[in-house]
Amino acid sequence: MPPSNVSEQKSFSFKLILLALLVYGLAHLSPALPWASPSSFLNGLGPQTALAQEDEEDEEDEEDEEDEEDGEGEADEAEGEEGEESAEGEAAAEEEDTSYLTDIGPAKEIINEGYIFPGLGNRKATWGAAQLHILFASFILGCPMFVVIMEVMGARRTQGVRKAVILANVFMGVLTGVIIGIIGEIIVDIHHGVLYGLWACAFAALIVSFLNYFHICMNTKVSSIVGAVVGTFFAYILVPIDHTTVPAIILALLNGAVGGFLSTAIMFAQADYKFERLAHEITKVIGFCYSFTALTGGLFLFIMMVAYKDFISYLVTAYPILFMIGYPTLFILETIVLYIYVYSWEPLNKTNKKGRHIVLGVVLNILGLSLLCALDGPATFMQTPPKPYDALFTTMTEWDRIATMTWMPLNYHRLVGNGTFGGFMVGVISAYMYLWSKDPKEKEYYDWVGYMGNFIGVLFMIPLPAMGYIFVREIYQYDATIGMYIMSDRESMFMLVQGLLIGTMFTASNIYMWVSMKRIENAHRFFPAMKLGFILIVIAATIWFTPRRFFATMLPEPGMNPDMVLPDNLAFLALMVSKNTAAFALVTVTLINYIFYTISTRTGKIAWGKINPLGPYILIFMGFTDIWLMSWMGTIRELSRMNWHIYKVFKDVTPEKFAPSLAESGVFVTGVVWTFFIVMTLIIWLGIKYPKTKKDKTEEAPAAAPQMAE
Amino acid sequence: MKTLPKILIIAAAVGVFGYGVGEFFSMNPPLMAGAMAGLTLLYGILLTKQHRPPKEQGFFKNIATKIPVVTVIAVILWFGAGYFGFPVWWQIEFVSFSVIGMIFFIILDLKTMKPEKSAGDSLLRLTVTYALPSALFITITAQLPQFDPEYELAKLNRPPVKLSGLAGPEVIAAGREIFESNKCFNCHKVFWEGNSDRGPNLGTKQIGLYSEDYIKEQILDPRKKQSPGFEDKKSKKAMPTYYGEDLSEDELSALVSYLKTMRDPTHIPVEGKFPDQWTWWDDKQVLEEGKIVFEGKEPATEGLNCAVCHGADGIPMMTGAFDFRNPDNMDTTKMADHRPIKLKDWPDDLYYRRVTRGVDATPMAPWGMLFPHLYLWKAEAYARTFHDPLDKRTEKKPVPPIPTKEEIERWKTEGLFLDPLL
Repeated sequence: MPPSNVSEQKSFSFKLILLALLVYGLAHLSPALPWASPSSFLNGLGPQTALAQEDEEDEEDEEDEEDEEDGEGEADEAEGEEGEESAEGEAAAEEEDTSYLTDIGPAKEIINEGYIFPGLGNRKATWGAAQLHILFASFILGCPMFVVIMEVMGARRTQGVRKAVILANVFMGVLTGVIIGIIGEIIVDIHHGVLYGLWACAFAALIVSFLNYFHICMNTKVSSIVGAVVGTFFAYILVPIDHTTVPAIILALLNGAVGGFLSTAIMFAQADYKFERLAHEITKVIGFCYSFTALTGGLFLFIMMVAYKDFISYLVTAYPILFMIGYPTLFILETIVLYIYVYSWEPLNKTNKKGRHIVLGVVLNILGLSLLCALDGPATFMQTPPKPYDALFTTMTEWDRIATMTWMPLNYHRLVGNGTFGGFMVGVISAYMYLWSKDPKEKEYYDWVGYMGNFIGVLFMIPLPAMGYIFVREIYQYDATIGMYIMSDRESMFMLVQGLLIGTMFTASNIYMWVSMKRIENAHRFFPAMKLGFILIVIAATIWFTPRRFFATMLPEPGMNPDMVLPDNLAFLALMVSKNTAAFALVTVTLINYIFYTISTRTGKIAWGKINPLGPYILIFMGFTDIWLMSWMGTIRELSRMNWHIYKVFKDVTPEKFAPSLAESGVFVTGVVWTFFIVMTLIIWLGIKYPKTKKDKTEEAPAAAPQMAE
Repeated sequence: MKTLPKILIIAAAVGVFGYGVGEFFSMNPPLMAGAMAGLTLLYGILLTKQHRPPKEQGFFKNIATKIPVVTVIAVILWFGAGYFGFPVWWQIEFVSFSVIGMIFFIILDLKTMKPEKSAGDSLLRLTVTYALPSALFITITAQLPQFDPEYELAKLNRPPVKLSGLAGPEVIAAGREIFESNKCFNCHKVFWEGNSDRGPNLGTKQIGLYSEDYIKEQILDPRKKQSPGFEDKKSKKAMPTYYGEDLSEDELSALVSYLKTMRDPTHIPVEGKFPDQWTWWDDKQVLEEGKIVFEGKEPATEGLNCAVCHGADGIPMMTGAFDFRNPDNMDTTKMADHRPIKLKDWPDDLYYRRVTRGVDATPMAPWGMLFPHLYLWKAEAYARTFHDPLDKRTEKKPVPPIPTKEEIERWKTEGLFLDPLL
């Protein structure tokens, strides 16, 4: 098409959009125009009779009133004037039988008998379906985060890509700022730390990326300074606080510097096709997982509708807008964008529109996160419904029921948790593909993928304890009884298992680094220092595990040994101070080892594809442990509501209202995780390995065509 | 070793940082500084150490070299933990972790694994990879202490507390249940029973001495008045403020009835947060309040005036009245339970017994039948100062050991409480 035609067409489209906006604006923003009444406009779209009935109750001067309401209205008027007429009116109203309007027919006589899910029981059936749904959902939320990072790293920096990187950087700035901000809020107790982090990092990323686009501020050091200044300036303006403290300013400066630094580093990163290939391969798996998310979500909902029908209908009706409009809209949009993202990969690469594809990826992530936040509303409502309870459906709005005390903490926790999940799942995929590949080049590539998966997984795992901490802190503030049920009562042993699992995760991650470093030239110079770190890890894990008492409840119950309690002078070992110190030590040692690992990769030659064969199995072990831990924490969160579906609002009166024992839960969670991994193994084979095998048989071709030159 | 000065400087800087961290988080700053500086020094030395490629060993050789080291560590841990008073289960835990550490180091030093020769090899290794954590997690969850779900179910199926139709002991039992179900034990011990010392031990503090109104106020509006020793920022925020909404009137009354039983007839109340505790004998404010009671100026004990007989300045006003100024004065012989103990050595329970039960055939009435014991303990604390003034004391009276379950049973059987309910 000639350029002039293109510009004419663009101009016409633009005018058309402008006209549509104008009409829309007139219809909605000009109440003075009689024809533009939104209600009359909407009435034409919906069931008019029903709307008319409701309107009559409010507007007395409506002409077409129903007979019944006529009668009532007249009777009211007559009451004050003539007694006889009033009596007649009342009698007429009494005589008239309007039950036909509400009679639902024979169904009202039929009482459905409860059904118990064979073999498992209703609770476990619901538990299993919900857990599987969350695991697949985490995959389709966590992996796109990973994929976009990889896609950006793999895209050649064309004009279009650089435009898209501005958006990607801002998105990255928001996420990074929130994470660092929360840590500042928790550790240094900075009021509104999250907001300082968010605004500073996001604006630093925006401004620096924008300057970078015009080839200004290309040095990372300068960008950090510019980011720090600009970010702090915006944070200072936007955070609603009377007095800004020094720690808050330092936090803003730090976030701004990080935002500026990362933006420039990403904007001018050397593109590597390996990243592109990795992102594309993972995307194929995401497509499969999306179907399984929907499938398990449906299963979960159907089981709930049979097993807990009263509760699910109460919960859904508590969120009419969310469940009728918000959730379906987001879900449909995400489906559309996801499939466009998956299937437009190669076409957009071929037409040199990589930037648009990256934008799609960011939009997909934004939609996914919105979906996550939307559904966290009902999830946290079940745990911490806003008080006072008698105002839940009177003065409180649907938004109040979404934005509960633990809503944002759970959003943060799941956001970071999904990042970890994404990283470790990529690790699992890489391990499978490494084991299934025979070609040395393929092995090299998947060895590198494992390295990247572990890198992202560990990177997100480091702030994860802080996110968990802020979530539990809010629970304590809402109702300490729930917190105590988790930390000191029936779930205390569950938490002990959590400590053990986290210790195992960090240990496995460090072993993977150790094993990986053995194939790097000259890396063994770090080994003696790393061994010191490993000793610290064992000590930290021991402290994290040390309980106040070795019985499973707050006070010993019949059959328990009451002497299994730490004496008072040693009790400090079981307190949060010690646990936090242990967590800090675990995180710090892992970080130090990672620094050693990174220095080794930069200063020594890496023999990709020559990793100790133990490496891929460690990656699978870590993936399994991470997902087991995630399922375990979900179990803890659900059980912490005790015998309530919605804490103190909707009681669970079924026979399964008690907390299952630790042993029973352990076996069940293992079963759920096995199911997930069996399905995932099939998906990885179907999504990545099988097409490759087919392709290998026909001809050698790369999985995704490299991006064309501009 | 050329780099040693550099390492020392970095370690010192980290130490200063550690001190700041310790100060900020109230976590023993010198220890924090020392630990961080020491670790930095160790890291520095290890990084500059002459390095050799790692020695890889086969599985059995690996075990053979590590078992002696771990055995020594395990023995040290076992006896060290025992020496510091860790119960046996913790000794087992520490030794178990030394074994876990050994497994960790065995993996690190293990010979590089041989590549898979066939698909069967891969499958086997893959299965082991999944089976290993599964077996591990199932075993851990099965071996850790368990609870019986039936017990919780039975508790959940109990009807809610309704006071009408319940007798005294049943109300107290219902109150204890409320105390338990609201997880009060998490922060408050009741004598020997309970979970931590975040809040006052309501048994040794003897919350039962206080009025019902005061106890209710402490439950419903806990920020209004902090218990002595719990004025720090963290403690001020610790007690939830929602019990007014959560507890019904009946539940609150039952809870207060239970709390009213928390008294110790053998010891004076204890204040403060463990381990910085003190008894009322050394509590300046209590002594001031005790003076008011002793001199008959306390409105809540109208009609009680110790100074009338014992003298406002300790000089007895009445013949035969006990002279609190003389530390060598012996216990009265007019009572059947007379104990030949000098005043300076009187145990708490003797003070309490003489004041609450009185002395036969003397004007010393059983004041415990007439006035709240809260004030009587305060007056006793003040009376002691006549022979043992507060400003002359070189050290505080020792905090008595927490009464055991058996001792509390004994108080009941021996009728040490005046209240027949207890």
